[in-house]
Amino acid sequence: MARKDVAIISVGYNGRFVSKRPDVSIPELIEPAVRDALRKTKLTINDIDAIAMGNMQTFEGVNSPHLWASDYIGGTGKPVIRIATGGTTGMSTFHSAYYHVASGIFDVVMAIAWEKQDEGDSQVGLGGILMPEVFAMFQFGPDLSEGRGLGIGIGTGGGGGSTGSASFQASSYLARSGGGIEHIDMIAALLRSNAAKNPYAHLQVPGCKPEDIAKTPIISYPLRYGHTCPTSCGATAIILASREKAKKYAMTDRVAWVKGVACGTSDATFGNLIDGQITDPAEQVAATMVAKKAYARAGIADPQKEVQMAEVYDGFAHQDLMWPERLLLVGDGKSPEMVAKGAYNIEGDMPINPSGGVVSTNAIGASAMVRVGEAALQVMGLAEGGHQVPRRVRNALAHGWGGLFQFVTVTILGDAPVQ
Amino acid sequence: MERKVAVVGYTQTNYEKESPISRERIAFDLATAILQKLKISRDDVDTIVFSSNDFMDGRTISEVYLVQRVGAHMKDETKAEADGLNAVLYAWMRIMSGQYNTALVVSISMSGSQFRPLLVQNHTLDPAYERPRGLVNFISGAALQARAYMTKYHMSEENLAQYAVKSLENARKNPFTPKRDGVPTVKDVLNSKPLYDPLRELHTGPFVDGGCAVLLASEERAKELTDKPVWIKGFGHSLDTYYIGDRNIIRVNSLRDAAKRAYKMAGIKNPSRDISLAEIHTNFASEEPIFTEALGLFPDGSGVKTIKSGISRREGKLPVNPSGGPIGAQPMNATGLVRLVEAVSQLRGEAGPTQVKRARTAVVHAQEGVCAQHNVVGILGV
Amino acid sequence: MPENINVLVPITYVYKNRVGQFIEKFIKGLSQKKILGVKCPKCKKVYVPPRAVCGKCFSRLDKLVEVGQEGILENFTVGHVTIDNGELKDAPPYILGVIKLKKADSAITAIVKGVEPNEAKPGLAVRAVWKEPPEDNFSSLDYFEIIRPSAKKRRR
Repeated sequence: MARKDVAIISVGYNGRFVSKRPDVSIPELIEPAVRDALRKTKLTINDIDAIAMGNMQTFEGVNSPHLWASDYIGGTGKPVIRIATGGTTGMSTFHSAYYHVASGIFDVVMAIAWEKQDEGDSQVGLGGILMPEVFAMFQFGPDLSEGRGLGIGIGTGGGGGSTGSASFQASSYLARSGGGIEHIDMIAALLRSNAAKNPYAHLQVPGCKPEDIAKTPIISYPLRYGHTCPTSCGATAIILASREKAKKYAMTDRVAWVKGVACGTSDATFGNLIDGQITDPAEQVAATMVAKKAYARAGIADPQKEVQMAEVYDGFAHQDLMWPERLLLVGDGKSPEMVAKGAYNIEGDMPINPSGGVVSTNAIGASAMVRVGEAALQVMGLAEGGHQVPRRVRNALAHGWGGLFQFVTVTILGDAPVQ
Repeated sequence: MERKVAVVGYTQTNYEKESPISRERIAFDLATAILQKLKISRDDVDTIVFSSNDFMDGRTISEVYLVQRVGAHMKDETKAEADGLNAVLYAWMRIMSGQYNTALVVSISMSGSQFRPLLVQNHTLDPAYERPRGLVNFISGAALQARAYMTKYHMSEENLAQYAVKSLENARKNPFTPKRDGVPTVKDVLNSKPLYDPLRELHTGPFVDGGCAVLLASEERAKELTDKPVWIKGFGHSLDTYYIGDRNIIRVNSLRDAAKRAYKMAGIKNPSRDISLAEIHTNFASEEPIFTEALGLFPDGSGVKTIKSGISRREGKLPVNPSGGPIGAQPMNATGLVRLVEAVSQLRGEAGPTQVKRARTAVVHAQEGVCAQHNVVGILGV
Repeated sequence: MPENINVLVPITYVYKNRVGQFIEKFIKGLSQKKILGVKCPKCKKVYVPPRAVCGKCFSRLDKLVEVGQEGILENFTVGHVTIDNGELKDAPPYILGVIKLKKADSAITAIVKGVEPNEAKPGLAVRAVWKEPPEDNFSSLDYFEIIRPSAKKRRR
């Protein structure tokens, strides 16, 4: 029987996200996250009916890593499925676990997402998105490198996620909204100091100020070094349950109900060396479309009033200004004003990324799932270290983004199921 | 009442060593073929579940340029990074949730021309123990599995060759698989290049380029779209432990487990009686007796009896891989979904040269990992 | 119809994968001519190679134990190829065996020598042969040799 009421009953982490974990193998990195999620419930591993697991495997060079990690995730003898969708992997994996339960086939399902970026070559990992097209351009098209090496070609010509490509999006966003580089400095400082209140975040800078960010060098205008994300190692696990099983196994009455999920794909904006650039990367029509779909499913008519906070996918700090507008949490062009007056702060009217966001912690495969986990913790009132928003969170939005600037996922969580 | 989901449309490309068209073009052709067959537009597709694998495509997020080609622009699209049959399993759950009515599942492989499949398999081994030791790989693992079965159940190499020949004869009739010069005989198989004893070159199929796609629909939509829906009666999947020394590689417990879940869901109590067709993911001919017995289609250890009796031949009572199976063609990452496509065409009576008589309920299967560590089993029926 | 244009994309990548705490200890053991496993306190099973979690009961494992150097050849295949960087390469026939060591519940895979491939059969007794001097990697455990009934004494 299909289910409308599916709840997140716990969120686990393997520990603090860090840049290197030379002391553990991949399965050894993931296992503590599974245990952490379990111990925050009344479940044993035997009560988990199925597992959905994801990461971006070109970063570690291990294909289908759930095969190696089967014992470590409690997956031996269980239904396990592997999901991967680029930057949105974490949330796509979570959505898969959600549909395991919403379909009525499984009652208690664990979603796991992780990345161990110290094991691979991140430039190959990212550059690999476009490698064939870049080589085709080298052989048959204009010379992107001018003899200065592949890095320039990848950095400016393509490579979803690298600063060169993102700077085009940032410039366009500032032009559209009337904001300036100072607003990106403001939000970056806010995120770094938020991260300092999150014991699991990677880059923690307590009391970080916009002036501190403004001192960091410009990589590609208007993006500074201080606006970009780290590469992190870590794992997260989220346990979902049907209404009956949530009642039986959750350790809190205040679970996070999954009210609406939606995803969307638009054209491969930027770096589209074959089709040509056809969309302004700051337009992100897909994000608005997907958000509307998720709100409709969640029964939310006025997100600006009904949603109290959001965890958005911000590989670059300007995206914390852009996404709230595209996701209809604030009016078009309003973010510079909102950040300037403190509305995006943890104590503000519309807290954005109290966890510190992707710009503070980016284990790529996990990042989009961490957005869901953090939003869930906010709804449940369980965010540790001082990053719990003070007002009661009735509805929270989690957002994931990836691919060649083209994949979007949105999850709406709430403190009560959809009526 | 459980929501019923059917396969309402299917298509596959020819499989060849090197596709004359790009993978982007294959994606477009697959999606448009299904839409045209059903006389619908991409607006009628509620969600898309893609199946691709970054290592197999040699690029990160390998679906970035393929998703628009299957009509995913501004649509709800996601991906299972595993064999296409896993994507069908996920798409089925999405429809069962009631939030979608139709789902397109697409899986494309360029394993014939674009990369080295054995290198991808090498990356599937763990980097800590099996990969550096260089002893266990997909071929040596399957060989150990074959040898263990043959020793225990007194199967000769000649019997094993007969399994290969049966698949090769079936593949010969399959218009989609690459053609060989004549059908190899038992003698040819026994003389083909040895890999790991008892496995030889002719016990396995060629890696190829190509792909396939299916459209799933909920009951109400299915009835509008086709008068020959093929119902998904059940699905099961399961993962075994990693090291082969910790598994019973003759029993393949994860396959037995997946089959049990699928049969229970489908209400099948006696598979050897209730299943009339099997399309299974056999990387090597030796896997046919092992997997069919794990699926409960034939008694444990009856491999010699089964091949001699002819029951699993195309004209037999329980045909196994009338398409030729992966011995005909291995589009790596799509191999399991092709089994479902073949089974659907059989159940609809549209299989042409490979058609079996009166198939009503089929079991389809996909595997992953050395010695089939992970298995997906689906039950289809009309 | 234009001809296919094929673009060759040469990618060099270097992955630095961690073997993890348990395989590290296993390799250290090999360098000391020991084969280490780990015992599950709940299931009482001894697993080789050692690992951090029991697949059956999900208990955390930490009790490393030394398993026997002798065992029984349960199964084997004869390899006529090796796979090198994704390509099949012909090789002179070699025996790849599945061996159940004394005091271990897992079977391990290893090269077996001392008998012609067509004379090997399951049930033969085997023992570990070490590289001299031992090394800090997997090849320290060189291969397993068939224990002939006549060879009562351990060969030096």
